[in-house]
Amino acid sequence: MADKWRLVYNPEGDAADMIAFPSALVEGRIAGKYMLSSESLPNTLIIQGFKRAGIIAGADVNIDKEAAKKQDLDVAKSARSGRGAPKSVGSMSLSDMMAKGSRKFKPKDVDPDKPAVLLYTSGTTGKPKGVILSHRNFITQAVEISDHYFKMDHKDTVIGVLPLFHVYGLANGLIPSMYFGCRLSLVPQYSPHHLLSNIEAVKATVLIAVPSMYMHLIQLARMRKSKIPKTMRISVSGGAPMPLKTLQEFEEVFETQISEGYGLTETTSAVCLNQSGKAYKEGSIGPPAPVIEMKVVDDDGKDLPNGEVGEIIITGKVVTQGYWNMPEETAETIKDGWLHTGDLGYRDEDGFFFITDRKKDLIIRGGFNISPREVEELIYTHPKVQDVAVIGVPDKREREVVKAFVVKKEGEELSERDVLDFCVQNLAPYKVPKAIEFRESLPKNATGKILRKELRAGFVDDRLINKEDTKEAAE
Amino acid sequence: MKSETLVTLISEAAHSQKKRTALLFEGREISYAQLDETTSKVAGGLEHLGIKEGDRVAIMLPNIPEFVYAFFGIQKLGAVAVPFNTMYKGREIIHILNDCGARAIITLTNFANLINEVQSEVPSLEHVILTGERTLLFVEPDTTVSVQMVVGKDVFPNADEAFRITGNILLDALKELGVEDAWYNHRGAIRHNGKKIATILVSEIENLLVINSVLFIDDYDTEQFFKVVWVSPEIKDKVLEPMTSIQQITGSKPDMEVFKKAVAESAQKHLGIDLEVGELKRDELFGYQKQRSLSYKL
Repeated sequence: MADKWRLVYNPEGDAADMIAFPSALVEGRIAGKYMLSSESLPNTLIIQGFKRAGIIAGADVNIDKEAAKKQDLDVAKSARSGRGAPKSVGSMSLSDMMAKGSRKFKPKDVDPDKPAVLLYTSGTTGKPKGVILSHRNFITQAVEISDHYFKMDHKDTVIGVLPLFHVYGLANGLIPSMYFGCRLSLVPQYSPHHLLSNIEAVKATVLIAVPSMYMHLIQLARMRKSKIPKTMRISVSGGAPMPLKTLQEFEEVFETQISEGYGLTETTSAVCLNQSGKAYKEGSIGPPAPVIEMKVVDDDGKDLPNGEVGEIIITGKVVTQGYWNMPEETAETIKDGWLHTGDLGYRDEDGFFFITDRKKDLIIRGGFNISPREVEELIYTHPKVQDVAVIGVPDKREREVVKAFVVKKEGEELSERDVLDFCVQNLAPYKVPKAIEFRESLPKNATGKILRKELRAGFVDDRLINKEDTKEAAE
Repeated sequence: MKSETLVTLISEAAHSQKKRTALLFEGREISYAQLDETTSKVAGGLEHLGIKEGDRVAIMLPNIPEFVYAFFGIQKLGAVAVPFNTMYKGREIIHILNDCGARAIITLTNFANLINEVQSEVPSLEHVILTGERTLLFVEPDTTVSVQMVVGKDVFPNADEAFRITGNILLDALKELGVEDAWYNHRGAIRHNGKKIATILVSEIENLLVINSVLFIDDYDTEQFFKVVWVSPEIKDKVLEPMTSIQQITGSKPDMEVFKKAVAESAQKHLGIDLEVGELKRDELFGYQKQRSLSYKL
């Protein structure tokens, strides 16, 4: 005879029911084990629908309850689970693992040039590559770059809002903060409001952020008027260029000075700094840090004089030893100790560097080089444009043509024709886009850099798992 | 003497900073001395699992203290930390873990599902270490339905079978509802054209298994939720895994009665059981009410 199971059917449940049913059943059966209960509790299947929208949140998640009320959303939180809580099969908890370790553990003796971290970065094409960063790379970044410019110590409170899995948050946030004994305030979930209140609550002295965060903070500050925290002695921006307007307004409102950094995962973050109030030039990435050498070279690797555009190459103790398990890519990128950045730019007579483009993003049309950045910067000045990205796409005859992806400002009317007319008025004919596509938003990475790769046709969404990808299918 | 490596960085800092605050997090303060002890325990714990100098240990965590514990714990052991984007999904994760040959991953409890699903494609990955309680799940009328089980461990020969049979129950139910070519990816999800249509998570406690699954009968209207949980516009479509729904695939959605019938019949067939609609017993009802009021109070 078949086993009898109970079916609990709850077609009009809510968020709390999803937590309450299974925990009540578990509690009942575990308690029942120790009591001489007359009726044993059966195996149970629960099928539930929902009559109200809601959020089920773990104990560590902060939910804006006011906003939830306004949206008429239930918020059900699960209680902090103790040791006896259900755990996912085939895993262990960090605390159980730590219980096997001792607080007297003696750190190993490790060569500073050994890999400490692999950071995966997406190139223009292909799968992410693992950039090998050594202990020396990180210590050099902390001591000879961060500290050279900012002199951090235990009196500093640093805002850790940038993701620590990214080179910028890791190499300029976490590691120098710990090295110099600062207080690091961790912000796990970015929202402009949360960031501003955190700066205020911890009386932050150092903010390390990306341009979009600075923009959001200004927008918030404009609405608040009063009570703008003015404790920040250092503000650093990186990851993407910052408009001068934003920089100036932020400095004024928050009474701070912003340094704009430039660097790559391959250089353990920053190699130069454009320091407002000190050595600053609009549109520049600044002069290289003292421990860094930077040059501009042509396609044959020959040095170019000031003012001429070529590839920027970098050497110094922050440069990676290469990509994990990728000797060919490593050899292509690092030649005689010089990292070839793939960024195109020039140096002026004062030793300031300027980036003009990514080498691989250049659009070549009828023998002319077209700078996507130049076209982007033009379209960006259109008053109804919120955001824009420009790439080269093949036309019917496989020749490269310019295509622009445009995000309109909220509530604005803007046609393809409007954008094209604007370009025709302001650009050489061969640079005018042949196609315009309107988008809701543009794909960006964690620091706000536009992911052009994802705009190209034939882009494969790697978040999907298809049956043919799995081993079971291969068998 | 200042540290030349990340291996000794925290112990050196603790030596000079002692009880000064290292980390501030949601009103808590964690001192350098505490950080030194915690990271030592992580290093020792990993060593106990057999992780050695030079081994790769992945970290998939947001900016919470456990990231710092994991990162410097791995450093103290001389292992190589591989932190990666918490928004990665599916093949992105498989590629990174396989490329670096990670032997362990330290991640959030709520990513267990993502990791479970890819683990069979990552032969090097021996240990999944979970922390934090940051589950975030949306439910919406006519969009999500949940199927849960609380059963004795003896129902299934092992956890893999619990996953597999649950997967088959849901697959057959979906087929009954008109979704033809969905498939079950072991320990993870039911997918259709690469996208998720249902998730399965099996947990254990004492002699019981708790199986949680959520199915999508229609597409989420996420705007409402994003007004409560702030997400910057450009990453909105990356926060949630690519999802599909019965509505999207078949052009219509079943009502609850039809859905119940399909799942119940499929469960009876695959488990060889008789299902009888029943209520909670008295003791369970007390527990249920207590849990409900607790979860709305927290």
